Amino acid sequence: MFELLSYDFMIRSLMAAALVGAVCSLIGVFVVLRGLAFIGAGTAHAAFAGVTLGYLLGVSPLGLALVFGLATAWTAGLMEEKGRMKLDVSIGILYTSTMALAILFIGLMKGYNAEVYGYLFGSVLSVTPEELNTIQLLGLVVLGVIVLFSKELYFIAFDQEMAEASGVPARRIFYLLLTLVALTVVVSLKTVGAILVFAMILIPASTAYQLTQSLMHMTIYSVVIGVLCAVGGLLLSYAWDLPSGPAIVLLAAALFFLSVVFSPKRLPRPASAGA
Amino acid sequence: MPKPIITFQQATFGFPGVIALQDISLDILEGEYVGIIGPNGSGKTTLCRAMLGLMPPLKGTLQIFDCSCDELRCHHRARIGYLPQKGKIDQNFPITVLEAVMMGRYGALGLFRRPGKQDRQIAMDALENVGMQDHWNTPLGHLSGGQQQRVLIARALAQQPQVLLLDEPTTGIDIVTQHSVLDLIKRLHRDLGLTVLLVTHDLNMIRAHVDRLVLLKTTLFAAGPPDEVLKTDVLQQVYGKDLVVSERDQVIVRDYHHH
Repeated sequence: MFELLSYDFMIRSLMAAALVGAVCSLIGVFVVLRGLAFIGAGTAHAAFAGVTLGYLLGVSPLGLALVFGLATAWTAGLMEEKGRMKLDVSIGILYTSTMALAILFIGLMKGYNAEVYGYLFGSVLSVTPEELNTIQLLGLVVLGVIVLFSKELYFIAFDQEMAEASGVPARRIFYLLLTLVALTVVVSLKTVGAILVFAMILIPASTAYQLTQSLMHMTIYSVVIGVLCAVGGLLLSYAWDLPSGPAIVLLAAALFFLSVVFSPKRLPRPASAGA
Repeated sequence: MPKPIITFQQATFGFPGVIALQDISLDILEGEYVGIIGPNGSGKTTLCRAMLGLMPPLKGTLQIFDCSCDELRCHHRARIGYLPQKGKIDQNFPITVLEAVMMGRYGALGLFRRPGKQDRQIAMDALENVGMQDHWNTPLGHLSGGQQQRVLIARALAQQPQVLLLDEPTTGIDIVTQHSVLDLIKRLHRDLGLTVLLVTHDLNMIRAHVDRLVLLKTTLFAAGPPDEVLKTDVLQQVYGKDLVVSERDQVIVRDYHHH
């Protein structure tokens, strides 16, 4: 299997997969704890609509993906704050409308465009050196910002109102988190695709959630699991000639189900715990 | 003579179209222990939010320390330690006791500064103050309701606040634990010289602890020592005719079992 590493494209793919695994699983910790799963899923579909519009107009697909993703994440954040409607309903409307836009834009294109489908289902093996550069740059920005604001991000995930009341600019940190989610989605589009990117954000963090009762441990476990699944899934896809996105996500999902079965949280609590 | 540290002057709070608190004038003095009482929907939580700087007055003024809270960018927040109502904490949230208490340092530290050894020591001291230092590495969700209240009070103490603001700290825990939590608050008030503001429904439990009671019913209905506020004629105007104060100074609902 080591002869793989003599191929440039394979090294690029492995690097892209590892980076995407790390970024997604790290932001995932905050998404899972703050309860933003559905917002993230909506953002991923909106970003895909941006990609299709980019191809239709002949402008940067990733640039428009970022614009669409940010617009959706921020709109969803505003809806959560105002809370006039149940959030699942309002996000559901956003989610399906952006998907409808994507299908509309694909319909308006002349002929079949395989590259567009690459963004829908992911094609990590075809990552070009320029795309890897973009992924690296954005990925490092996201990682850096998370590290810089980690204590505030943990605090708003635990209790946003309490954070606000203790003097943390909680609202701005919340929108920063939404922005990071949109950036992460864009970074990952090419690797795992719009349909599956959210699995990479949600699953490693949820697996880690099953395994520990400490914030620090959950974060470390999540990133380790995310990177292992991304790299492992890619190698599996190469070995068995499977599409890479599904291989990565199914490996992560298998680990998640194992973690549910063996979760220490399912064990009886220590005797000291009362009502 | 203690000086006022929180001053409401004819302050009105609410949302467009809804007045939650009207025309409140009130001084909270340094070192006071004040109980805030009133029926459901009387504005107790709004008063808390206002003092935390989460809600500016629609009319009138609110001065907290040296800050006039006209806009929502208040710098006094870290100096008020806040215990939210119970039940808002997700029991499965993966967090240890020390991690939760350390969050009390985050607002005080400000952006870009990482908590260090000194912050950890402050957090451990706060845990010791509430008698939970042996549980520092226990998952928060594994503790009993009363122990969790203690940890969250330690989180507020880790801010090194001047004021402790407690929103119904005794709701949802058993009667023995209620007394031990109130004893703890009394001790913190006395030993640390904290100004304590305690919101509660339990009129009988609170009267022996506080210097002053504030009775709300959208307006500030009465304020003064417990003996002046917990009188049948005052309470009946707020809670209705069935409420009476017995000869033993217990607030009871008259003939409740006959209805």
